[in-house]
Amino acid sequence: MAPSLNILVVENDIAILSKVTSLLEKRGHNVIPVESREEAFASIQKKSDIIDLALISLELPKLGAWPLIKTLRKPKYEILVFVMSADCGEESIEAMDAGAYDCIRKTFTTKRFWTKIDRAIERISLTRELKKLKHKRKSIHDPGTENMRAIFDSIADGILVTDLDNNLMFCNSKAADMFDISRDEILGKPVQQLVKYKRLQKLLVSSHEAGSSAVHMGHQQVCLMEADEKRLRVHINPVINRDGTHVGTVALTHDVMAITGMDSLKDDFIFMVSHQLKAPLSAMLMQLSVVLDGLAGDLTEKQKSLLSKAKDKTKGMIALVSDLLDFQRLEEDRVLLQITPLNLTEILERTIDLMDIMAEDKHITIKTNVVDNLPYIIGDKNGIEAVFVNLFSNAIKYTPDGGQVTIDMYKSADDVRIKVVDTGIGIPRTEIKRIFEKFYRIKSESTTHIAGSGLGLSIVKRVVDLHNGSIYVDSEKDKGTTFIVTLPMAQ
Amino acid sequence: MKKILMVDDDIDFAGAVKILLESKDYEVVLAHDGKEGLEKARSVNPDLVILDVMMPEMNGYDVCVVLKADPKLCRIPVILLTAVDQVMFKTSYTKQMGLMTEADDYIAKPVESAELVKRVEDLIRSST
Repeated sequence: MAPSLNILVVENDIAILSKVTSLLEKRGHNVIPVESREEAFASIQKKSDIIDLALISLELPKLGAWPLIKTLRKPKYEILVFVMSADCGEESIEAMDAGAYDCIRKTFTTKRFWTKIDRAIERISLTRELKKLKHKRKSIHDPGTENMRAIFDSIADGILVTDLDNNLMFCNSKAADMFDISRDEILGKPVQQLVKYKRLQKLLVSSHEAGSSAVHMGHQQVCLMEADEKRLRVHINPVINRDGTHVGTVALTHDVMAITGMDSLKDDFIFMVSHQLKAPLSAMLMQLSVVLDGLAGDLTEKQKSLLSKAKDKTKGMIALVSDLLDFQRLEEDRVLLQITPLNLTEILERTIDLMDIMAEDKHITIKTNVVDNLPYIIGDKNGIEAVFVNLFSNAIKYTPDGGQVTIDMYKSADDVRIKVVDTGIGIPRTEIKRIFEKFYRIKSESTTHIAGSGLGLSIVKRVVDLHNGSIYVDSEKDKGTTFIVTLPMAQ
Repeated sequence: MKKILMVDDDIDFAGAVKILLESKDYEVVLAHDGKEGLEKARSVNPDLVILDVMMPEMNGYDVCVVLKADPKLCRIPVILLTAVDQVMFKTSYTKQMGLMTEADDYIAKPVESAELVKRVEDLIRSST
């Protein structure tokens, strides 16, 4: 069915006006009948946005039709105009030049009238459709402010932006929900006033103070935040404008509650499996050792070589299971840390004793330079031991035969630093930022034969974090790697 | 010939240890849970007991406590054997439990055959 249109009819001949009106109304159109140019203008002023079509008599007094036609055809209105005239002669052609669509004779037959009007209606529908399509295209291809806002509000994560004075400059609807911010009053207010989560405040504020070097590196901070039964992962990044000026900070807050649940299920599973694996692996190792020692009969060289490979693999699996269990405990049990004053020199010496055999096997020299009377640190002995064991054994593992591992331990302003330098295969630049990830291992020709779980460094990172320390890594492929761990001194 | 009582519910592990220690000229008696271990300790009167910690019926710590409280048995050296602890935790935890139960030594599973033999020999030598 044809759409119902709003049609303005301007005709000073009452007979014709009523005839046209009743014809149009019979088909369900809404007619605005007026008798003069003045009334017509008044209607246009009031209802310009709803008028779809206008029928205007060319015989209005004082050439009244012309200004009407011109007005209705302005880009502002773009209303389709029919002129009605007695003969559709010269004058109507001029009207069409001025923008009228067609001319209807006042002596029309009903059939002729509808032929013309129907064509116009079809044209109007098409124009509307075209407009809609154009609008759609425009709205996606031209993300103006309004659209940008809509896009940001449609994102499932919260976004908060502050300027350098720590005033909140933007917050999308998800962030407003998450942090209970009323969006009408945000602009330019201090973030401390609006975001009641102390941790997030601190992150937003401190990121400005991180210094320009961090900013230039596109420095990103990621952390987990728990508050009000919410568990959020927050990414903090500096906002850098086109000329490279640091203008503010953006925080992306992602709700990880659901994922966390799945994560803990997965952790339980890993724990269960590793636990169940440990006992049979221990038995296998003992059985293989006994057979290899010749206690179950003499072995041929071939059998020996096969079995010793099996034994190595078994040891590898045991190491993996141990790492998994260690990591698990660190993840689930923060309180497990027993905090006491620690003599790092003592721990270092003991750890190196453990490593000696491994280093000797590969003819690697371990050099240590430890400053005398190093201050104590406060920490967990087992954790720090794990840090040392993992860093030193990695250095040995990833250094080819005959290389060197140098361990320095010294005091800095208010922390103790442990620097481990090897002459190993190095870490490709692109991989450096991923090495602390759980289970991440660099896959390359030079690493395939080195056993490892990909957990060692994540354990190191986690322990160092729990001690409020930090870890730095620098590496050059085929030259070697340097790890520096800083641990705050006992106050 | 010195007698060693090996108490472990893991038959495969215990069996391998038996072969290993027999090759070093020890007589090895096996028990498969804590209760049986305690009974055999009384009937066999071994020169050394190797006690697994995680066992059904009675765990290794409990067996050790009972052994050390018995005037007739308290002189028998005990090695606690455990897979409970991991690299970073094993030292202090097992040590603590060992101290509390008065065990003479502790070894974390998995253990290499040479290491096990060495610990056994050391302990038997020092107790005679």
